[in-house]
Amino acid sequence: MDPVKITIDGKEVVTSKGKTVIQVADELGIEIPRYCYYPKLSIAGNCRMCLVEIEKMPKLQIACNTQVAEGMSVFTQSPKVLAVRKAVLEFLLINHPVDCPICDQAGECWLQDYYMEHDRQPSRFHVGKVHDRKKTIFGPNVVFDGERCIKCTRCVRFCQEITKTNELTVVNRSDHSTIALFDDSVLDNPLSANVVDICPVGALTDRDFRFKVRVWYLEKTPSICPGCSTGCNISVETYQNRIARFKPRINEAVNSHWICDEGRYCFHDLAGGERLSTPLIRQEGGLVTATWEQALQAVSTGLKESSSLAAILSGRNTNEEAYLFAKLIKKLRADATLEVFYQERELSEVEKILVSPDRSPNFRGGRDMGVNSKDGFDGLMRRLLSGDFAAAFIVGEDLTQAADPEAVRTALQKLSFLVVQDTRVTETSKLAHVVLPGTHFGEKEGTYTNRKGRVQKLNAALIPPEGALQDSEIFARFLELTGEKNGYGTPQQIFTALAREISAYQKLTYDSIGAQGIELGSAAAEHHDR
Amino acid sequence: MEKILLRNIDVPNLHQLPTYESAGGYRSWRRVIESMKPAELTEEVKASGLRGRGGAGFPTGMKWSFVPKDSPKPKYLVCNADESEPGTFKDRLLMERDPHAVLEGTLIAAYAIQSHTAFIYIRGELAFAVTRLENAVAEAYQAGLIGKNMFGSGYDLDVIVHRGAGAYICGEETALLSSLEGSRGWPKLKPPFPATHGLFGCPTVVNNVETLAALPWILDRGAAAYAAMGTEKSKGTKLFSVSGHIAKPGVYELEMGYPFKKFLEEDCGGVPNGKRLKGVIPGGASMPVLRPEEIEKVNLDYESVQAAGSLLGSGGVIVMDETTCMVQAAWNLARFFAHESCGQCSPCREGCHWMEKIFHRIEHGEGETADLDLILNISSNIMGNTICPFGDAAAMPAAAFIKKFRDEFEAHIVARRCTVRRELE
Amino acid sequence: MALEFSSETLRKFEETVARYPKKEAAILPVLYLAQQEFGCLSPEAIEYVARLMEQSPARVQGVVSFYTMFNTKPIGRHHIQVCRTLSCALGGAERITAFIKRKLGIDIGQTTADGRFTLSEVECLASCGTAPMMQINDDYYENLTEEKTGKILDSLK
Repeated sequence: MDPVKITIDGKEVVTSKGKTVIQVADELGIEIPRYCYYPKLSIAGNCRMCLVEIEKMPKLQIACNTQVAEGMSVFTQSPKVLAVRKAVLEFLLINHPVDCPICDQAGECWLQDYYMEHDRQPSRFHVGKVHDRKKTIFGPNVVFDGERCIKCTRCVRFCQEITKTNELTVVNRSDHSTIALFDDSVLDNPLSANVVDICPVGALTDRDFRFKVRVWYLEKTPSICPGCSTGCNISVETYQNRIARFKPRINEAVNSHWICDEGRYCFHDLAGGERLSTPLIRQEGGLVTATWEQALQAVSTGLKESSSLAAILSGRNTNEEAYLFAKLIKKLRADATLEVFYQERELSEVEKILVSPDRSPNFRGGRDMGVNSKDGFDGLMRRLLSGDFAAAFIVGEDLTQAADPEAVRTALQKLSFLVVQDTRVTETSKLAHVVLPGTHFGEKEGTYTNRKGRVQKLNAALIPPEGALQDSEIFARFLELTGEKNGYGTPQQIFTALAREISAYQKLTYDSIGAQGIELGSAAAEHHDR
Repeated sequence: MEKILLRNIDVPNLHQLPTYESAGGYRSWRRVIESMKPAELTEEVKASGLRGRGGAGFPTGMKWSFVPKDSPKPKYLVCNADESEPGTFKDRLLMERDPHAVLEGTLIAAYAIQSHTAFIYIRGELAFAVTRLENAVAEAYQAGLIGKNMFGSGYDLDVIVHRGAGAYICGEETALLSSLEGSRGWPKLKPPFPATHGLFGCPTVVNNVETLAALPWILDRGAAAYAAMGTEKSKGTKLFSVSGHIAKPGVYELEMGYPFKKFLEEDCGGVPNGKRLKGVIPGGASMPVLRPEEIEKVNLDYESVQAAGSLLGSGGVIVMDETTCMVQAAWNLARFFAHESCGQCSPCREGCHWMEKIFHRIEHGEGETADLDLILNISSNIMGNTICPFGDAAAMPAAAFIKKFRDEFEAHIVARRCTVRRELE
Repeated sequence: MALEFSSETLRKFEETVARYPKKEAAILPVLYLAQQEFGCLSPEAIEYVARLMEQSPARVQGVVSFYTMFNTKPIGRHHIQVCRTLSCALGGAERITAFIKRKLGIDIGQTTADGRFTLSEVECLASCGTAPMMQINDDYYENLTEEKTGKILDSLK
């Protein structure tokens, strides 16, 4: 690494050869405004927003494409630079529609933000604005507004360089230049909605989120996507205790800056449905409301009386929940067969960039915690369908989705005792003898271990409905009923306990996980132990 | 004055190889290939003082010397025949009437940088020039002047005639390269520069038609003979395209340093119909217009025109007499630049059309006095802040017309119509 | 109906591409071949060229839309392109354009009903010394007067 010494705004810094001024500024926390520059994409240099003054150079230079040189002196706040920022913003605003009142980007719009910070000049534009297509559907998840577009080409480069699907292009010339799809083609690659995230303005917006809520009302909770075992880092953004959208969080070790479309919108299904709000016990004529005491007692009794037990935990349950579940089931029946729901699927080339071939984000963590058996989930399902089990305890999954629904329904109906713990009514819960209302990923704090062995933290973004209990709380209460006195209160306490017991997790503490997670068996994990 | 570029221009059938050769053609090429080393050739051209004739005036030999000799990548020589600067039509003349001179110059330049593939990028509209060049290239291949192992030298060279498709910006060298690579004609960020990272990331030199056409003579008669002509900083001769309100429009070859006023009044026959000169653009539409009094002491060379506040550029001389509405002229050029902006970077993409709209408003009687300073400010905000010099090219004339003819603009605004035409009526 | 080059044109295509160091550099000559063969560069034509060039149709579309000489819709047999930039404007280009409009009964950007002429205004054609002038298809017509223009148009079937 060739060291190079430069000065930025009078501050000396040693950086390395090959870096650009904007990279060094970003590392130092010196703000240089920019539109077209995006760290994961090639350099376009077209917005001219990052122009800075460099000593001995007569013209201003774009920071994104200027490599550092020994002795270089950069000024990011000189009068010329401050003036050119106003000039560039003016150029970008003259044809920009005053759509703010109806534009989803308001509140997180880089034109608004930079205007307030760097410009604030009134408009001098008194001739006709250029018009372009508005609210043009680009794909199932993305809508385009040509008038709002500032032609930074981030979206075009994303489709060229990241997904390599090349749907988007710039067409025409001059100020008739615009972003377009070819003919009647569609922007529907599996990562398509990332262009909404990287679009600095409201030119590309999310159809799912359209007009839902103003972004300044959103509460943002860092968490992990429950879609698959990649474990993309996300921000769960909520309003009035409902999830409005997911946004990616940057984690270079996992998902870089992206999330897939399926993961982005999975909360509709996973946090939706007809919510279970009270325990239910089957009586003559159907499922009937019961108290927690009654329900937990019924489960204990029912499972004790069964000759064999299949225990299926959702891949969306946390390590803490899985740890308690494994303990509980083994206590109830030492010979029970436990597994984490896991089904593989085919992935397209583009999906493979990010997605894992399953829909069980914590299958690895769950199995690490003891929810595992010799023949895997497939083995368990085979036996279940052949009628091998007398009882089953299913958490967080509708089993009729796992195989032929009729075969599953028949097998479940043949069970002498079926417990279902879930958040909403499903085909499986309808067949249960006891139904326990639990929580979903958005309502829990805890950890997931992704496919590659990275332990990452979920945070609760929502308050669960009144009648439900946290899955971990339900399991803890069960354990109490079996006679185990425990300190299983907070996820932190549970994690501390599981770390003591499970060797791969021994070097970790709950605090060490942080916002970016920690890899099992990594040096970082070792370091935190000291 | 001895003509160099137009010395054979009136010879019938000059475009055919036998005629060209009997006029001394390809003598330099043979000599270069058979007995000159590239470094020697480059030094000779440097010594001649030849500067790029496309508009930038960069010393040609120096440009060649920037190509890294020991780079393993293929090197490319591109003849920029995308002549589109309003007021300029000299390259067209050379290509249509003396295509072999253009070709021979291309070959010499290719050899200097050890390129084995040369392109001649011709603007699409010049179909006839394309045909002439294609025929010349075919003749040259047939005669073994291009191709493999010419004259047993061991040197291979292929020439591809490439037709553009209608975009002024493709005359900018990096936009030309983008276009040649098969992309939209978007100029590239510099650094890196074409000499090290040009066509397909390989070392590339782009030279103008007129620049290349001078090479056969320079190599034949020697650098000193070329350098003996012209001025201290502007050597040799240059072609000037003269158009507009002038008695004898056309292409003229002048020794650098020739007095501008004399050129217009004598050689070009002056402004016809008894009209007075009102303004003249010396170097193509991108260059600031000059008032008659400003050209009193100006000579047609790079330094003198620059000292007068304009630039020699492509040598496209556009003459405007007293019947010209300068508001309309300014608007006409603003419209040209607005149409030709490639649209890549924000100041040019948005600013050029903005200026055009304001000029249009003034022209049509809806201007306000504040519009003039607004245009000057827009122009100044574009200049120096764009990816390529097109932004400057659009900004300079807009500002110059207002600065030089402010009274007329103000009168036009107040009267809400053209005051020049009213006076004439 | 899927568009395709004739075997003759396909041969020209192969020859053209072979001359260039990289296939993608040949896009302009290939688009000219396609425009010649198919009449205009419709979406089907662009899709075909994209396939031949092994590029995305969007990329080819981006290239086509950049240049003025590519037509994405059919035009008349004779494309009249009158230069409107400064020197020609000073030479009376507007009068010539107005004359053509009157004579043919069409406006800029329109085509005569019989498909004979399309009228466009274009920027500088490097013929400033012989202004006013126009280009019709590949040919230049210079030093125009209204009379001369009329005769030229009459002669074009």
